[in-house]
Amino acid sequence: MIIGRPSLIFAFVAAVLAVVPAAAKNTGLIFVSNEKSNNVLVLDPKTFKVVKDIKTAKRPRDMHFNADRTRLYVACGNDDAIDVIDVAKLEVIGRLKTGSSPETFAIDDARRRIYVANEETSTVAVIDIEANKIVQDIKTGDEPEGVHLSDDGKTLYVTSEVGNLVHQIDTEAGRVTKDVIVGTRPRRFAATPDGRELWVTAELAGEVTIIDRAKFAVAGKIEFLPPGMRKSDVTPVGVAMTRDGKTAFVTLGHAAHVAVVDVAARKVEGYILVGKRPWGVTLARDDRTLFVANGLGDDVTIIDVRSRKATQSIPVGRVPWGIVIDD
Amino acid sequence: MISRRRVLGRYWLAIILVASCAHALRAQEPPQPRVTIGFIDIEDDPRHEPIRAYERMILKTREHPFVGAKVAIDEAQALSRALKIDFALERLTVKSEAALVPAVTQARESRGIQFFVVDASAEAFRPLVEAVREHDVLLFNATAPDDWLRRELCSREIVHTLPSLAMTMDGLVQHLVSRKWRDILVLQGPAAADAAMTKAFDASVKKFGARIVAKRDFKPGTDPREREKNNPLLLTALNRDYDVIFIADDAFDFARQLPYQTQRARPVVGAIDLEPVAWHWTWERHGAPQLNSRFQRASNGRRMDSQDWASWIAVKMVVQAALRTGSADFAKQREFILGGNGFDGYKGLAVSVRPWDQQLRQAVFLATPNAVIASAPIDGFLHRTNTLDTLGDDEQETPCKLKR
Repeated sequence: MIIGRPSLIFAFVAAVLAVVPAAAKNTGLIFVSNEKSNNVLVLDPKTFKVVKDIKTAKRPRDMHFNADRTRLYVACGNDDAIDVIDVAKLEVIGRLKTGSSPETFAIDDARRRIYVANEETSTVAVIDIEANKIVQDIKTGDEPEGVHLSDDGKTLYVTSEVGNLVHQIDTEAGRVTKDVIVGTRPRRFAATPDGRELWVTAELAGEVTIIDRAKFAVAGKIEFLPPGMRKSDVTPVGVAMTRDGKTAFVTLGHAAHVAVVDVAARKVEGYILVGKRPWGVTLARDDRTLFVANGLGDDVTIIDVRSRKATQSIPVGRVPWGIVIDD
Repeated sequence: MISRRRVLGRYWLAIILVASCAHALRAQEPPQPRVTIGFIDIEDDPRHEPIRAYERMILKTREHPFVGAKVAIDEAQALSRALKIDFALERLTVKSEAALVPAVTQARESRGIQFFVVDASAEAFRPLVEAVREHDVLLFNATAPDDWLRRELCSREIVHTLPSLAMTMDGLVQHLVSRKWRDILVLQGPAAADAAMTKAFDASVKKFGARIVAKRDFKPGTDPREREKNNPLLLTALNRDYDVIFIADDAFDFARQLPYQTQRARPVVGAIDLEPVAWHWTWERHGAPQLNSRFQRASNGRRMDSQDWASWIAVKMVVQAALRTGSADFAKQREFILGGNGFDGYKGLAVSVRPWDQQLRQAVFLATPNAVIASAPIDGFLHRTNTLDTLGDDEQETPCKLKR
């Protein structure tokens, strides 16, 4: 999938983008990106067997669908690119250029833009999808990681792992408008469905910092400590919230557990043992199944949400990063 | 000549005017408080001379670790906007060890610098500590691993960010024991540093239940009369079997020629092949690749090493103290740094200062030239409060009792 001449890439991407988007098919297929085996594995939603092994650019990490789920975008850190996968064909059909070492990103489908955190250059690159071009670089604190775009597309939130900051960015003006200091090494976001709060995992602080979005100030925090663990073992990274906004799941990294949190009460309800160094976490659309990528176990733990039990673990590629589901 | 002087006079007046205008403009916005960290090192410090095989064949460059501190201060810039505190780094390079004290005193008195990252030998700390006592100064030892500096000098004015010899040797022996490579042949070089390293290794061996089957002194050279001391085959020939060879060789020239020259097919550890270090350029977890690449960019491609890391974390600790106390006040920052708080050292478990000897507790990497083989504390070595305290002097193991 390496194409030498830029003109060819442009023609290719343009051709791909010109196709009239088909409607989402709700195949239920599960996509797992694997950092070290440079592939996205596609799993059957019932048997969890691999139905397709899609080779991508090097070090695939964050993945997002476009609005109608005909395209899957995959940020590939070592090749400074976002690969575009055709969800119907299950193959890479294009490649967008990013800045150095893209990790997580957000898509604004209406504006045909991608916001991607480039951890090496400490910027958020704004990519014009049609033109396959970086139209702006917004300077952030060092090691930007988590990216969250407001529903109206006007505000972007970005964590700086080194700065211990969350930046609020005005996407029209293309600049940071406010910073808020959060727990040590902030990683990723989840937004409450009512739009009031932003939850940020703070890996080294072992907590989730809660940000009041209207005031853009810290409104609280949740600390984690699975039984028998030490505080220093608890390194939260991934966070997912149910669609009703009642329950959140936080992956605890070194502590090898997922915390179940009552969102309104801001209270931990329990812990579920998973594999080694869980980071990526995704809920199925019906909120009944939770998928956890165990980065140092090369597997994915499947959790039944109602009984809060891990039911199965399935081997995937090397260093699984994230999971998305076409449902 | 007169006219020229007059022109110059006007020129100076203009500068003063411009400066005062700028000052008036800035006066509307109160200036941010500033925290300046001094980085002090010595020109032609023999500890930083490259180790050479021949004139142009450099085996180890041994650079000053200033870039480590520089990277950390650059990282603080994004924060200074949110925190409304400026951070600055000032490098003070002096001509000799004797000039350290006057330079520190002058920086403190004239420019209000209270935090210093010190790149000097353990001996240099004796007069420094005397000079700064009672003066609200905190020194970070980023380059001296000597155990005596922590145990005997035992000073409240120093935070040791570089791991002690005891810590690195404990990490190494933990790994050997976890492999069940318990029987060890020790080869010691002629330098004082080799004796100190062997002493620390010996203590670690006792602590974790390994065995030294023989200890031999080597003497680099080719004199046939001293072949028992300079021939690798003879040095490693032993009736008793052993699992691994430990070599202490600060000069490095003998150690580099030992692997694959031994009597038995046994791995070599210590000064070569498997070395215990505070940092390694290949560490790929906990955000390390990003730090390593920031460092490489800032240093024209150099690979970050242990002393660079120790300088980097020292500056990070000061910045973090300002962040978490929301203050540029020295006393509050020192309290935070010494108060057992955790810092993000990019090597897993949070690093923090031990209250009894002010050594930074931290993981130790066991590294070959191209990979980190293990990170100590090794799984299974337990401690009642913090597994990092299985490395180096625990509270009851040291004569140093700084705990307040």
